[in-house]
Amino acid sequence: MPVVELKGVSKRFGKVVASSDIDLRIEDGEYVTILGPSGCGKTTLIRMIAGILEPSEGQVLIGGRDMSGIPIEERDIGYVFQNIALFPHLNMLENVSYGPIVKDMSEEDRQTIPVRYLELVNLLDRMKVFPSALSGGEQQKVALARALASGARLLLLDEPLSALDARVRMDLRYELRRITKDLGLTVLHVTHDQEEAMTVSDRIVLMRNGRIVESNTPEMMYRAPKELFTANFIGETNLLAGVVVENRDDRTLVEVRDGTVVEAQPSKFEPGDAVVISVRPERVHALEEGLNAVVRTMSFMGTYIRITAEADSEDILGFDVPVPRGRDFNIGDNVHLGWSMASALLYPRPPGGIAEAVKLE
Amino acid sequence: MKRFSDVTAADGLDLTVNDREYLCLLGPTGAGKTTALRVIAGLTVPDEGKVLFDGREVTHLEPEKRNAVLLSQTYSLFPTMTVAENIMFGPDIRKVPEKDKEQMLFSLLDLVRLTSRADSYPRELSGGMQQRCALARAIATSPDVLLLDEPLRALDARLRIDLRRDLKSLARTLGLTVVHVTHDQDEALVMADRIAIIRAGRIVQVGTPAEVFDEPVSPFVANFVGQSNFFTGTVVHSGPEGSVVEDEAGNRVKARPTDVAVGEKAVLAVKVGHTHLLKLDAAALKGKIERMLFEGRVVHVDVDVAGAGRFSAKIPSSYRGRYQVGDDVGIGWNRNKAKVFPYPEGGLENELKVD
Repeated sequence: MPVVELKGVSKRFGKVVASSDIDLRIEDGEYVTILGPSGCGKTTLIRMIAGILEPSEGQVLIGGRDMSGIPIEERDIGYVFQNIALFPHLNMLENVSYGPIVKDMSEEDRQTIPVRYLELVNLLDRMKVFPSALSGGEQQKVALARALASGARLLLLDEPLSALDARVRMDLRYELRRITKDLGLTVLHVTHDQEEAMTVSDRIVLMRNGRIVESNTPEMMYRAPKELFTANFIGETNLLAGVVVENRDDRTLVEVRDGTVVEAQPSKFEPGDAVVISVRPERVHALEEGLNAVVRTMSFMGTYIRITAEADSEDILGFDVPVPRGRDFNIGDNVHLGWSMASALLYPRPPGGIAEAVKLE
Repeated sequence: MKRFSDVTAADGLDLTVNDREYLCLLGPTGAGKTTALRVIAGLTVPDEGKVLFDGREVTHLEPEKRNAVLLSQTYSLFPTMTVAENIMFGPDIRKVPEKDKEQMLFSLLDLVRLTSRADSYPRELSGGMQQRCALARAIATSPDVLLLDEPLRALDARLRIDLRRDLKSLARTLGLTVVHVTHDQDEALVMADRIAIIRAGRIVQVGTPAEVFDEPVSPFVANFVGQSNFFTGTVVHSGPEGSVVEDEAGNRVKARPTDVAVGEKAVLAVKVGHTHLLKLDAAALKGKIERMLFEGRVVHVDVDVAGAGRFSAKIPSSYRGRYQVGDDVGIGWNRNKAKVFPYPEGGLENELKVD
């Protein structure tokens, strides 16, 4: 079955290294997203798995079989692109029938399979309609049905939702996961959208500069990222520079730039080590005492208010309060910010500076 | 009003943008957002109606005489010009004395954080840098009104979140009046002083982010700005303390006071973020957890309520251990968070369509 393995895969375009020594294994039935900023090499990676590009070095294996030299049409994969690519002169049913016909399936399958997949994406009632009469979201659902109707057990999704409106995207990502899980498919989904990755996948592979930064379940990537880049890329976070002053068994004490000592998770750092504290905005609270800060902005976020405050340590911290409590704060107010020890993660201070280490482009 | 042969792109659009206001024009693709922006800029002449700047009619005034500048989705930077040359291209700027020009360029580059890239060409810049360069070029003409057409759409999702704040504070620092078109309701909530929601060429609601979120005028707005759960039934009680809606299965739920009369078919809307999981015996609605999706700060929970359909709730991530898929749970909300609308004429599904 479609286990996908990449072993020491690199891809160079002239002097540009798009993928560098990638090792990755995707299990049968697993939904994996490759996430990363523009230019991180995620599209190159999915194209090598599809057979659109050949690796410069290393091996791509699908179902244990080495894929070198095997063209895309013989890899038995379904592929959905960002730019919806339906045949404009064919109606929906004909579009979805394309795979079964090309694959020379039996007459019965040619009749039943396209109908079944159109039903799966809830568009059976639009089967006689041409692409131009459908919305973007509907077209992308048909593109998915078409990819599935070829009978492939491995589905490659290349930014499948990026061209759609935010609200449509939100609905479709739930659909994507439901459909592929119902069918038990192995899915590799490329995206730059961390929210999308978080809600659809079993596992996220985060890439940067052609390399894998970190790979784990969405929950672990959010709660316990191993890398500073991950902490900032997946969800928002506050980053504060500090120096470890004391390492106790149950917590680490860190002095931030204005001399205030704050608490963080237990760690292996030694007194004197330069570190970065990462703490999520929903974990920061205005308390009786803590980091002294001045409220600079307040934004209504629907069910909560995001406040940003400038601390004496010169760090800008975001924190969230429930909407009714928003009345207790005004721009210019002095606040004291703190968090529970367990909410603050520690990373070694990157030699090139924090901004450089978390840079998005 | 603007018609393109058979299609009416903007239909009786009434909108006032206040001085120094940051207004987001929010709506789905094809709602007429870009047309509205082009009418304000003078690039499209309306078939009917007027455009006024500071009370002065400009409907038939050429774009360059309006002092409104439109920044398109694709930025349209000149590929053969450097960042500095692009920024200083504006026709108005060419008349500025050389010395002032230099001063202006310095401050603009500093403002959009491109000082070190002044001599780069657009192709050497990242998407975010190109966007900031285009913005600087637009600001260089000292417009009264800045019109932004999906200014963040071409950028990565994570970068977009950071740039929202940058763009807003830039506009505020310069005291600009901004109309910003977007399809992204989160973007509008975070950035706008006021949001105008547009659908099928009409503005359906204008208000502060809190107003359109908490006081939607229709089920469409309730669902488009933050997701909502809907409960369809008949109003069985209506009083000053609130109303009660009952469905065919006999489920009864509470809402705010309503103008919809007792006996009328109605739909109750409550934000997903205001919907709570409750103990079974404390809840009016009971269902089974269908799925739980980790979203970072919260977990999205879908609950299937027999006869009433799917209800979603967001629970803090720290509560996730308390529930699992398959659990029987109660669903409820503070009645003041639930609003009752007359049942839409074309049906609920049609009313909620965003695509």
